[in-house]
Amino acid sequence: MPIDCEDQELLEGFLAETTELLEKLDDDLIALEKASDDPELMNRIFRSIHTVKGASSFLGFDLLVRVTHKTEDVLNRLRKGELQLTSEIMDVVLEATDLVKTLVSDIKGGEIVDREINETINKLIPLLTEQPAAPAQPAAETPPLVASEDSPASTETAAPQPEQKPAQEPPPAAAMPPAAPRPAPEAAKKPAPPKGGEKGGDDLSDNTTVRVDVKRLDDLMNQVGELVLERNRMIQLNQDLQGGTSDHILFSEEFGKLAKRMSFVTSELQMQVLKMRMIPVEKVFKKFPRIVRSLARDLGKEVDLQIFGEETELDRSVVDEIGDPLIHLIRNAMDHGLETPDDRIAAGKQRTGTLILAAVHEGNSIIISIKDDGRGIDTDRVGRKAIEKGLITEDQLAAMSQREMFDLIFLPGFSTKDQASDLSGRGVGMDVVKTNIKKLNGLIEIKSEKGMGSEFILRLPLTLAIIQSLLVEVEGEIYSIPLASVLETLRVDQREFHVIGGQEVLKLRDMVLPLVRLEQVFNVKRCHEQDNFCYIVVIGSADKRVGLVVTRLVGQQEVAIKSLGKYLANVTGIAGSTILGDGRVALIVDPVGMVDGGEGASGTR
Amino acid sequence: MSNALVPMNANEARTGDHGELIQLVSFSLDNEEYGVDVLKVREIIRMPSITRVPNTPHYVEGVINLRGKVIPIINMRRRFGLCELEYDKQTRIMVMDVEGELMGFIVDAVSEVIRISSSEIQPSPAVVTSGIDQECIAGVINQAERLLVLLDLQKMFSQDERQLFGNL
Repeated sequence: MPIDCEDQELLEGFLAETTELLEKLDDDLIALEKASDDPELMNRIFRSIHTVKGASSFLGFDLLVRVTHKTEDVLNRLRKGELQLTSEIMDVVLEATDLVKTLVSDIKGGEIVDREINETINKLIPLLTEQPAAPAQPAAETPPLVASEDSPASTETAAPQPEQKPAQEPPPAAAMPPAAPRPAPEAAKKPAPPKGGEKGGDDLSDNTTVRVDVKRLDDLMNQVGELVLERNRMIQLNQDLQGGTSDHILFSEEFGKLAKRMSFVTSELQMQVLKMRMIPVEKVFKKFPRIVRSLARDLGKEVDLQIFGEETELDRSVVDEIGDPLIHLIRNAMDHGLETPDDRIAAGKQRTGTLILAAVHEGNSIIISIKDDGRGIDTDRVGRKAIEKGLITEDQLAAMSQREMFDLIFLPGFSTKDQASDLSGRGVGMDVVKTNIKKLNGLIEIKSEKGMGSEFILRLPLTLAIIQSLLVEVEGEIYSIPLASVLETLRVDQREFHVIGGQEVLKLRDMVLPLVRLEQVFNVKRCHEQDNFCYIVVIGSADKRVGLVVTRLVGQQEVAIKSLGKYLANVTGIAGSTILGDGRVALIVDPVGMVDGGEGASGTR
Repeated sequence: MSNALVPMNANEARTGDHGELIQLVSFSLDNEEYGVDVLKVREIIRMPSITRVPNTPHYVEGVINLRGKVIPIINMRRRFGLCELEYDKQTRIMVMDVEGELMGFIVDAVSEVIRISSSEIQPSPAVVTSGIDQECIAGVINQAERLLVLLDLQKMFSQDERQLFGNL
């Protein structure tokens, strides 16, 4: 059924507000479970759902009104203390919230889908009649009560008799048509709505519109004003020069000043715009208490999730991308890391496991860490499994450092589980993490101690739009290397290079650094005379180091990343491109690709 | 050419057996004349400085900066397996819209915009100019003293992409 709403603006306002409220609601509900006696929190939850109900009844979204109305009633009883909050009740309330999200996302999609909502409503109804003395098992009692009803309409009117506010009942009951024609047996066959609900909930986090602080906008306007002034000045200078009222010496002096001011204004402007693109990482983090809660219940584990630094800001493009990897890491920590309460006590630990999710700024990157105090990574077991699955050979394993063994868990197809459950074991999750983080130019580091727990540390760039880079020249061609992965640069004599098994290496302090000649990887035509001296840019990804051999260092520059387009999206060793000051295009070297594929690339020459 | 006088409105142009009137940009490559739909051509520019992109097919000349946008450049001579020629004053890059993305194509020269009626397009004969993939030839236009090969670049690139990603 298409949405029949006269006032599009009203509808958009409703959607924006509802989405925001619902996002917060999830968070608050989980918090409520921990602190059920917090009246302030309770009231806030109640108000949110009430607002949603009010707005949707005003706009005539009947399905939404019915669900929110019942949920509100249950919350009202909780608020008044007529009902004691149990996790069973919370499950039902959360299910209802999910349903509301699904309905809202239907509306957002522009089409009201005739969804089955009675199953959830019927779970809510017994909570309205129950006595505070007897909490628990509401779900068990419900189904028989529902099954006897032939049509949803009769459920709606029959059940809420003992309710305190019957006066509010008629409108929703009268506005039944969308759901009424559906016969009850068919409805029963439908899969439970929460499944779709969880998905719908994710879709709700709409990132196409931004809310910007008015002050930030004013600042931006000021900067633009200054830019316009400088532009006028530039035109003036040009006219003076053309008209002969200014000579070259005066012009170059004035133009120098102008260039300085312009550069100042534009970098300010750039900061302002970047700031506007920044959103707190909370946007992603707030999904997790809910996920952790349901995972803990499914796995029969007790978990205390602690979140730190959710106010840390980062670019929205990054925020959009880190959700999935973080979910996989959390699942991994919950499933493989943390032990069951009994095992924990046996190991002399506290019954409840701790999962810490923290975000912090460090220079131009953000660091997100997921830390558990579970059993840690058993490298022997990981190694054995990897051999069993045919991912590595015995010899390879023997030569591995502990760190390399940790990295095995990122291999596609790797899993320590013998059988895949619906939660894990297919060997996909960690591969997803690695691929996504790599896509973001980020690094993953694993710290783990057997029996004590593990920590996954993600280091991500703050923004994907503009990066600091080192410009280098390779036989006349300019390439840009992201500064974040550059560890150091050296000028060395090529006679100091050693060759080990066909691989050129350099002894650098106490380590042996494999070298990659960019001119070979990129097939650059040699144009310079062979010079014994060259420059080496040491880059690192995770704990691997590689030295890139280049002809000359050009300098450090802040560059705006431009995509190479769909057609050239997957060029080996190239992460993107940028436009230099003279208008030419320079390619950005993909450091991760160099480090991972570096040995192969120089080996095949 | 009498057709040139027919107004561009497609409805009015659909008269008798003249068929629909279409406009083509004609360009030359190795002494042959080719045409592409004018609506796909965004602009025609002179040769700017091109940045080579390593590890790409040999006919990808590189990328250029088109007013702040980085777009790939394809060398049509190499793409069609023709012998290479030094760039001269006539050499142009035709910037075209290929499946929603801009791409540049280096051609020997761009001559004019011509109008033809769709009924003049004949299916291509079994063997056309050596080296050019049959798939991207949409037809030939045989007018009194000229022979024009009509190209469909979308086809060329869907085929290329398959190859490119197949190699990865």
